[in-house]
Amino acid sequence: MNNLLKKILFIDLIKGLLITFKTIFTTPVTIRYPKQKRPLEDGFRGRHAFVRDPETGKERCVACTKCAQVCPSQCIYIDYSINPETGARVLTKYEIDALRCIFCGYCEEACPVNAIVLTEYFEYASYTREENYFNRDRLLNNWDEFIGQYERKEYLNKFWYLPGIGRGRLSVGKRQPNPIIRREESQ
Amino acid sequence: MGETEIEKVSDTTFVLQMGPHHPATHGVLKLLCEFEGERVINIKPDVGYLHRGVEKLSESKTYPGAMTLTDRLDYISSMTNNIGYCLAVERLMGIEPPPRAKFIRTMVSEMTRLSSHLLWLATHALDIGAMTVFLYAFREREQILQFFEKICGARLTVSYPRIGGVRVDIKEHVLDEIYKFMDLMLIRVDEYETLLTENRIWIARTRGVGVIAPEDAVLLGLTGPALRGSGVYYDIRKQIPYDAYSEIDFEVPLGEKGDTYDRYLCRIREMRQSVLIVKQCIEKMPEGKILSDKSPDIDLPHQAKRKIEPGDSLWNGFIAFSEEKQEIMPKGEIYSAIEAPKGELGFYIVSDGSGRPYRMRVRAPSFIHISAIPKLCEGHLLADVIAIIGTLDIVMGEADR
Repeated sequence: MNNLLKKILFIDLIKGLLITFKTIFTTPVTIRYPKQKRPLEDGFRGRHAFVRDPETGKERCVACTKCAQVCPSQCIYIDYSINPETGARVLTKYEIDALRCIFCGYCEEACPVNAIVLTEYFEYASYTREENYFNRDRLLNNWDEFIGQYERKEYLNKFWYLPGIGRGRLSVGKRQPNPIIRREESQ
Repeated sequence: MGETEIEKVSDTTFVLQMGPHHPATHGVLKLLCEFEGERVINIKPDVGYLHRGVEKLSESKTYPGAMTLTDRLDYISSMTNNIGYCLAVERLMGIEPPPRAKFIRTMVSEMTRLSSHLLWLATHALDIGAMTVFLYAFREREQILQFFEKICGARLTVSYPRIGGVRVDIKEHVLDEIYKFMDLMLIRVDEYETLLTENRIWIARTRGVGVIAPEDAVLLGLTGPALRGSGVYYDIRKQIPYDAYSEIDFEVPLGEKGDTYDRYLCRIREMRQSVLIVKQCIEKMPEGKILSDKSPDIDLPHQAKRKIEPGDSLWNGFIAFSEEKQEIMPKGEIYSAIEAPKGELGFYIVSDGSGRPYRMRVRAPSFIHISAIPKLCEGHLLADVIAIIGTLDIVMGEADR
């Protein structure tokens, strides 16, 4: 009897409609994307960049080729020569094909000197393929572009400092990394 | 007769090709349906439109590298795919992740279950004609994806776990936010239920549609909520507990009749259980390490390195191949399964001692569920076929691999 009454009075449908009616008065959850932007979370894996070391003004890469080895999509191409006097490796070519990249972040995790990062910059769609084929200068340029619009003072990537992992198995650069401090723009 | 043809029963029937670009087939599934009037006589699913060769590709990647491919199997619940793969490799190597990593993994896999069920609810309801649930479910799913971004930096292709633990630790304030959101989630699930559970249109479209008896469901190899909807108690989280599930109290919801409505109720109740599991995980989460000391390095070589001395001709090359093969991974084979949101997701890995899997096979629940479509659709109308595809929760990225 009760069920019949409920059916005649459309109780089930009215209950549902009440919820949709209530939702009219809530604030919208959508944003007007190109004008409004959602703040990105710390450690977002976006466009690649080479960290410009504040001390030397150059990239930090030591050409160990670990990133090229771990890359699952094999989109990093490295070449290096050896300085005959010191025996150190000198980076001669470093290229990333961003169109092949799958943004897993293995490269920045494997990098022993925290040279390569995936920055929080994601709007880099282009009309040509060449624009997303980054060489060494473009990677450094990407970093300048990113750090220029970065809002906080210190930058410490999530994959540079890995608490909870045995210190012994991390490279020296990962054990106690120094955050990059942004210089003031008043200069 | 080719693969894409169907043998007609009589001249009065009519063959309809549904898909591969039909919006209600949840991807690129093609169904060859034979109708008499509007009643289904025969259905032949045709899969393979999204084949990318994940199993073969993983033979050319190292063990950590192959994990990134599993993201792309069931792309709406990539976290559980990663965990299933990592668990298989861990069992092969005989290592165990530390307790904190176990609780983190349990928590994120239940969050994935929530997001996967929300997407299922949204699209299933949209197929049947309830537009509003779609909008509400996506609102909550968006928040879960934002939590994934906070945890690991990516929303969909997370690559978060690692063989022997997880890659990065979760900060305390993120855990607090997740805990708060879970309270909200319980209210939201009630809202979805108010919109659908008693709704007469919803009941008319789902009650008695796609009924499958428990015996048939077992014989067809259904797993997950599709099997539990028929009342069979089978949940790998309870039967073969992995990660931290053995330390957590939760119930396994079961259906009775095995129709679309029961499977819907099953999944809704599962969402509530998931919320409780996530809360328990956060409450019980211990401090400590997140990666086992025995876990392989992320830059695992694919073959053993020879000891190289300066002056050697191979000194310049990073990887030198040794003449006598040293073992990087233990030899052997393993099958390990987890309870993914869709059903039993199994990984079968054969190792020959090198740093790459010799063979990897994925037991994908979606692929096996597709084989149940002809049985479930017997004698139903064309409109019910849509409801049945929806209720099985198929993702073609996983079925075609």
